Amino acid sequence: MSNTVISIKNVVLNFPRRRGIVSMLLGFFKNTKRIYTALNGISLDINQGEIVGIIGTNGCGKSTLLRVISGIYPPDEGYCKVKGKISLLAGLGTGFSAHQTGRENAILYGSILGYSEKKIVGKLPEIVDFSELGEFIDEPIRTYSAGMKARLGLAVASAIQPDILLIDEVLGVGDPTFKKKSTDRIMEMVEEAGTVVIVSHSFGMLSKLCDRIVLIDKGEIVDVGPPSSVIDTYHERASNRKKG
Amino acid sequence: MGLRNEADFLTVVGDRSSSIKAPLTNLSVLSKHSFLVRNLVRREVRGRYRNAALGYAWTVIEPTLLSVVYWFLFIMLAGNPDEYYAVWVLIGVIVWSCFGKSLMSSVTSLSSNTRTLHLVYFPRIIFPTTSAIANIVVTMMSSLVVIPIILAYGFPVTIHLVMIPVGIFLAGFLGLGLGIIFAPINCLQKDVEHLFRFIVRAGFFISPVMWTYEMALERGVFGEIVLWNPMVAPITMARHGLIGKWPEIPLHSIAYCLAFAIAVWITGSIVFHRFEREAVKHL
Repeated sequence: MSNTVISIKNVVLNFPRRRGIVSMLLGFFKNTKRIYTALNGISLDINQGEIVGIIGTNGCGKSTLLRVISGIYPPDEGYCKVKGKISLLAGLGTGFSAHQTGRENAILYGSILGYSEKKIVGKLPEIVDFSELGEFIDEPIRTYSAGMKARLGLAVASAIQPDILLIDEVLGVGDPTFKKKSTDRIMEMVEEAGTVVIVSHSFGMLSKLCDRIVLIDKGEIVDVGPPSSVIDTYHERASNRKKG
Repeated sequence: MGLRNEADFLTVVGDRSSSIKAPLTNLSVLSKHSFLVRNLVRREVRGRYRNAALGYAWTVIEPTLLSVVYWFLFIMLAGNPDEYYAVWVLIGVIVWSCFGKSLMSSVTSLSSNTRTLHLVYFPRIIFPTTSAIANIVVTMMSSLVVIPIILAYGFPVTIHLVMIPVGIFLAGFLGLGLGIIFAPINCLQKDVEHLFRFIVRAGFFISPVMWTYEMALERGVFGEIVLWNPMVAPITMARHGLIGKWPEIPLHSIAYCLAFAIAVWITGSIVFHRFEREAVKHL
């Protein structure tokens, strides 16, 4: 018997388009026709221990799907059920406060990501060590370069040990040396986490990592299967689009 | 054991609790996420006065300077106010600004945190609540200005001074309640924000900031009418507390203000809970 940890059933997600004041008053919060359907009836079951990649052209709904799974957007139709603690790895360093030190920000960011106080304080030495910030860790974050912020963000985010890890294009931050280290760290997380869903454009990495790949186009699942065949489908469709 | 039972172990993503229970849910959310709330409050309070040579002193300087201006203005307009008038204005400015800032920051709490909202999920009521708490904390710091006042005017140091923080808290709580009613709509149309900026400015004049409850009483029927303004009680409480007496306004008007603040917060919690999820999509 399969052991499903993410179960997505017929998920439809509509985004409202900007409306004028009159139509807004007429149909407050109701879906009028001026909507954009980002996800159109997505159904997908992901099993314990599976590594699933999601590919598709820009704006096809990949990131939106991850946000639905992590609870940021409630689906308009259908449902998404999960088992265990989920963590979405995206936009590292969200909520950093420029005027507080690296250490304070590590605690702040950790709490935003849902750590308990005990856990984040326990992980702090590990985070400081991994971020390679040295004495800068006690300087205000506004003195940091973009790469340093990204390093601190990744250090905190990667200290989390979720049951389900969702990754949205965060591979390879910082300078080349750290890039290698960060990619390695994320690979480590992928191995540690029970189940992983990755949104990425680097097909090489996906075909190495993933058990299954899902191809999404215009908010619908077009193909699901082993990496090589789905990536072939993607290229086929891309070349068809160019021709036609 | 079919697949049906298997699916029962999965929980539906997102908050599906009923909106009617939102006030209770909010309280449990805040205690459950107290670590996060503390960190966010610290971020707001620290961020506001870092990089300024005078730092936290600004919490006191700002209302003091404002009071000097209003005091001067009042003398120009009305002439010869009572000897404590400057003090009344100062207290009024402090308590009012707590209300005004909590209101504005709650109204804009969702729209100003767009990035965080789109990248992590935690109960969104935390955003307006932490900004209101941060404002209350900052206002409590500004209220330390009463210490030199007490020394200069020789007011008695009594238990009645607790009415100052009570008034400040009530004002901030009122601002939060009103703010969360409108925070979701502000995601759709930023007009709400501009409207509220005007309301805060206009409310300043119809609330006892530059005038006092006693002045309104002298105008006969005005004394009755102004009591309908829920901000009369918090400001008057703080003023009377400073000179060492319990608030000398009708008890029912204090009860009215309390009930008003709580009713607004309950309404706000329900409205916020009901519309927040849809509203976030508009950002």
